[in-house]
Amino acid sequence: MNLVLAPDRRRTKAEEALEAAFRRIDAELPDLDRETAFARFAAQGLPHRRVEAYHFTDLRSMLASAPEPAARPSLDAARAALGADVFAAVKPARAVFVDGWFVADLSDLAGLGDGVSVATLAATMASDGAVRGLGARVAPGTAAETDPLVSLVSAFFSDGLVLRVADGATMARPLEIRHVSTGVSASAFVRHLVEVGEGASATVLESHESPEGSVVHAHTLVEMTVAAKAKVTWVDRQRESHDGARFSTLAVAIGDHAALDHTVATLGAKIARTQVFATLGAHADLQTRGATLAKGRTHADATLVVEHVGPGATSRELYKSAVDDEATSVFQGRITVQPAAQQTDGRMGAHAVLLSDRAEAKAKPELEIFADDVACAHGATVAEIDETLKFYLMSRGIPADETERLLIHAFLGEVTDAISDEGVRTAIEGEIDGWIDARGNRP
Amino acid sequence: MLEIKNLHAEIENEGREILRGLDLVVKSGEVHAIMGPNGAGKSTLSHVLAGKPGYRVTDGAAMLDGVDILDMDPSLRAANGVFLAFQYPVEIPGVANMTFLKAALNAQRKARGQDEISTPDFMRLVRTEAGKLKITQDMLKRPVNVGFSGGEKKRNEILQMAILQPKLCILDETDSGLDIDALKVVSDGVNALRAPNRSFIVITHYQRLLDHIRPDVVHVLSKGRIVKTGGPELALELEAKGYADYASEEAA
Repeated sequence: MNLVLAPDRRRTKAEEALEAAFRRIDAELPDLDRETAFARFAAQGLPHRRVEAYHFTDLRSMLASAPEPAARPSLDAARAALGADVFAAVKPARAVFVDGWFVADLSDLAGLGDGVSVATLAATMASDGAVRGLGARVAPGTAAETDPLVSLVSAFFSDGLVLRVADGATMARPLEIRHVSTGVSASAFVRHLVEVGEGASATVLESHESPEGSVVHAHTLVEMTVAAKAKVTWVDRQRESHDGARFSTLAVAIGDHAALDHTVATLGAKIARTQVFATLGAHADLQTRGATLAKGRTHADATLVVEHVGPGATSRELYKSAVDDEATSVFQGRITVQPAAQQTDGRMGAHAVLLSDRAEAKAKPELEIFADDVACAHGATVAEIDETLKFYLMSRGIPADETERLLIHAFLGEVTDAISDEGVRTAIEGEIDGWIDARGNRP
Repeated sequence: MLEIKNLHAEIENEGREILRGLDLVVKSGEVHAIMGPNGAGKSTLSHVLAGKPGYRVTDGAAMLDGVDILDMDPSLRAANGVFLAFQYPVEIPGVANMTFLKAALNAQRKARGQDEISTPDFMRLVRTEAGKLKITQDMLKRPVNVGFSGGEKKRNEILQMAILQPKLCILDETDSGLDIDALKVVSDGVNALRAPNRSFIVITHYQRLLDHIRPDVVHVLSKGRIVKTGGPELALELEAKGYADYASEEAA
């Protein structure tokens, strides 16, 4: 078993820390085959700019260190970590993870309805062979399988949820998966499994936060299967400390005639990378949208790999970023249309607005088409706030700073307007407006 | 009301002088038409008064009720009562017309030390004024000017004027792109706003608009200066004889 990094080069501090941490890892979840996952990571080490998928997000140089995996917090500490719930207005069921550990006492999983089961991975392990060997198994045959961040979560995850929605079942209320941090400098690794049965429907709200000033490296992996004709709505809100790191991956297989509507809002972290790996069956529908707000000296990366496998599927990707100060936003999106995926309809847009002279936005949209009867398009723009629009608004009496607020809100509105639930939409808009207002209040 | 003295302005980065010592006095309650050939500086005058970026004032002053507005940013000029009806109103995706109107009105009230308007009062005001201009609820809900026809955009400009109640209204070729019916709606809207404490500068190429909005004074602008001033009959004379006597050599 290869548990060491390739010997032909010097390891970085972060890599050494990960290797040492892996040797000490708590064996709370046995039989997972974490070793295979770590070996997969170790074979490449942290990705760097010569690795195509990480060209703009060179983790080898960006990650100065990798904090120890967090220990399970006390209930008191966990309770204290729990601030206001951004999604409180929609009264969701709630699974709470603190520092990567599930806290049953703070969770409320009642009332999700018939055919909906939620359990932790740890509990499921005891009763269900399906999670055996999970460390080595992630979305086989897809780009997610070999992704180094995915390998890291698979090697280190402390726990996670298993959400199953039976065929034909409908969730009676949304499920929120809250990830919070006590603020200790630590790494948290969580891995969720979601199975939505044929014709079923599910709404999941994901929330991530850590206190400002804390150096938390938060890793999450969600693996989801959406069976034929099922419908899933997924909203992910990320608001980590501006000194921390957030690495999120959603690996999803969308079945025939099934639909996923996915929105992610990223408002924090010194380094953020949000990955979506999706495969689409026949006549499947994927809508994925992102709003990224980056300020200070932060780096926010959204990477999508969308594979049209079956014919007649539709995908829409719309990612927008507002980049201030010396921050950088990165968008990488690839739509692959496999030979059988005739009549694919794919459209991808990535747009950034730069709010300062030193802000940067990088966009790399790609289409890989192996079928001959498809309609695919992509577009990317990087621009400053339009002076013509600004003058028009100011000429009506709206001051310069409020004009910018209105225009940034409007720019990102294309992402948030598509959230169908009003309470959820309002929550995300509130987060975005809070970010914009904080910007205006600076000296 | 407005007193422009020896105004010189050039296009930034080009250094090309467009306004070359323009003098103009507009008294309270008066409607002044400014006519002139292409390139005379008509639009530049409206832009410089409203504070559009891209121009540099090199000399002169524009006093509104005794205060020079040329050092103010556009929003402050608006709060002081300047309103420019754009020749080409801008589309603003993502900002609902209603939200925009309310933000503008409240920003101006705030700048003048007044309280925000209550939502019911605002709704009543908008409904009344929109009705007069045949602006539908749908147009109020849609993003500002997005998908509006040329005529709808111009009507929307007049709606803003009616709601913001400015002291000095500058209409920059408001008649361009309007058919006869739309011209009448827009003109009726403007005429309804005529008041003893409100003045208008109506910039136009054509006499046609002045059949609907009757000016008190007509000026001919040429090569960046007012070269002739008269009554409404001057507009008719220009219509008959053209601008040949005032030909301009440069485009603005």
